[in-house]
Amino acid sequence: MTARVLKPAPAWLVSSEQPIGTGRVGRRKRAAFLEKTPGDGAEVVRRAMYAESADPRGDRPGVLFRIDPRIKLVALVVLLLGVALVHTPVTLAVVYLGLVLLAWAGGVSVGAFVTRVWLFVPLFTAVALAPATLSVITPGEVLVPLWTWHGAQEGITSQGLTSAGLVILRVACSVSLVLLVTISTSWNRLLAALGALGVPRIFVMVIAMAYRYLFVLLGSVLDMVLARKARTVQPVAHTAGDRRFVGAAVGTLLGRAGHLSEEVHQAMTARGYAGQHHTLTGFRASGMDLLALAASLMVAVVIVGGDHLLR
Amino acid sequence: MHIPDGYLSPQTCAAAYAVAVPTLAVASRRVSAVLRTKQVPLLAMFAAVSFLVMMFNVPIPDGTTAHAVGAVIIAIVLGPWAAVIAVSVALLFQALLFGDGGVLAYGANVVNMAILMPFVGYAVYRLIAGRSALTATRRVVAAGLAGFVGINAAGLATAIELGIQPDLFHTAAGAPLYSPYHLSQSIPAMALAHVIVAGPVEAVLTAGVFGYLVRANPSALAATHPGLSGEPSSSSTPSRPPGLLSPARVAVGFVVLLAALSPLGLLAPGGAFGENAPDDLPLADLGLDAIPAGMERYAGFWSHTLLGDYGFADGQNATLAYWVCAVLGIAIVGIAVYAAGRLFVWTTRGRSGRTPVQVHS
Repeated sequence: MTARVLKPAPAWLVSSEQPIGTGRVGRRKRAAFLEKTPGDGAEVVRRAMYAESADPRGDRPGVLFRIDPRIKLVALVVLLLGVALVHTPVTLAVVYLGLVLLAWAGGVSVGAFVTRVWLFVPLFTAVALAPATLSVITPGEVLVPLWTWHGAQEGITSQGLTSAGLVILRVACSVSLVLLVTISTSWNRLLAALGALGVPRIFVMVIAMAYRYLFVLLGSVLDMVLARKARTVQPVAHTAGDRRFVGAAVGTLLGRAGHLSEEVHQAMTARGYAGQHHTLTGFRASGMDLLALAASLMVAVVIVGGDHLLR
Repeated sequence: MHIPDGYLSPQTCAAAYAVAVPTLAVASRRVSAVLRTKQVPLLAMFAAVSFLVMMFNVPIPDGTTAHAVGAVIIAIVLGPWAAVIAVSVALLFQALLFGDGGVLAYGANVVNMAILMPFVGYAVYRLIAGRSALTATRRVVAAGLAGFVGINAAGLATAIELGIQPDLFHTAAGAPLYSPYHLSQSIPAMALAHVIVAGPVEAVLTAGVFGYLVRANPSALAATHPGLSGEPSSSSTPSRPPGLLSPARVAVGFVVLLAALSPLGLLAPGGAFGENAPDDLPLADLGLDAIPAGMERYAGFWSHTLLGDYGFADGQNATLAYWVCAVLGIAIVGIAVYAAGRLFVWTTRGRSGRTPVQVHS
């Protein structure tokens, strides 16, 4: 387990409580960088653990967990393309419901699956798209008049609403598709599948190793930030000195990464590494896998074809 | 700046992959040739670093924090080709494990943040740093500006990719299918955010890390700064920038940039300001009764053009003539840039008294 190398930081350090000492409570700046970086680090570990858990409900893994990862990757791209080609929000809504059903039938816990998507979508997509519903950006038939400009009605247009609906639902469907694949496939098998699908071995190896050492280096980042925080007796003011600390921390990180790569390289050559890459995971597609591939191709065709009829 | 799936049309994503995949192939070949067995651990570590740099909260004066991308500092430390791979791998984690950035849009994100940003930033750094000593303040300033320009180049590319969507892809009723903001909205919005916040943050990070490495760990910079020590370069060790910016390459790059950007002119609304022929002037709008006398007199002053109105003199073969004009125009601009480059090299060589040496791998 990659995350085991991280010593969990004590709760009193990670939480956004006042630093120890006699800080001026009233003037403490919110979201100070010393508190946010460990928070973000903890979030990275939490999300990686979630993505890596690949835990099916109950004892018997669901269908999604048993499908060959290569098939899942191909189906992912095919279905993403299908979703990208849709022109009406209704089709996308149907596709999204289908995905929730698939998650339920495939053995993924539906609650977490739905909340993760809809926590992200309204925050980033809906807020960013809200101004685009107005006639000043998307001209068209004004449904909700808000003001007049040189005698013309301005407000929320039907075209703007259609566009916002399309993009929001498309993002939701795309994020859901990626999520279905990543939570039903362990990271190692996903990487092996990338290799089996023609991604050069050297890339796959760099990705696998980078992921492994991500957590080692994250530990060293958190150590640096926590050491600095432990020495902080006054609220941080975001001065030039604070920015210099971040520069030095990233510089140290680069130096450490360089040393670490030297050591790892020596360890690899000591174990007989000569530039060839081998993998343990062999894949054999079963009848069910081929069925899944055919089904995903058919669903993509149905999505695009059905959408054509609705236009 | 990570574009999620759903904001770009599949056609745009395919075009971005068509740029990203060959670039990654070239990058892996160039890096492999230099590093051999060391490449995998080194690139892996720096991919992890690239991911972690994006996680760092950089303190900004109003009390809030912002993230930097870090592609430029990695390019300065490892070289731009290695930065391409390191940042691409970091972007892959973000797309597959953390849901930042899409899978179809991965190619576009790679083009913006893993290709444009390190290359533009690295070019700016080399250009401004010149042959100064490793410890010179000029290099720290160069690193900061490189970070600023690099992230703004990435932001501009993102804005262009998003901004062309509503004009190219919409329903019959006019509802945009993908990102709904036009170029006239997406470019100012991205420019504002990047010039005021993201650019300075990237500049602070890049300059800060570079300054720290020069002070505390100059050996980390050895790969991209061969022959440079803390001392000002003596006459025996020529440390001139390598042939990265030879006149021919600059001219070719300029022509490619022109060809790549010119379709934007066709998409942009409106006409060219101040280019109307006197007869086309909207006189009533301007409050005029007649064409101004001086304009009338000098408008036809020079009528001996070779290809007037982008056509042959006899007015035949309009399409062919238009293409001839286009190719001729591009060639003339390319030759002019090349000549200016030769002139620049010739004058600077006269001053420094030595020839360029190819030192960088």
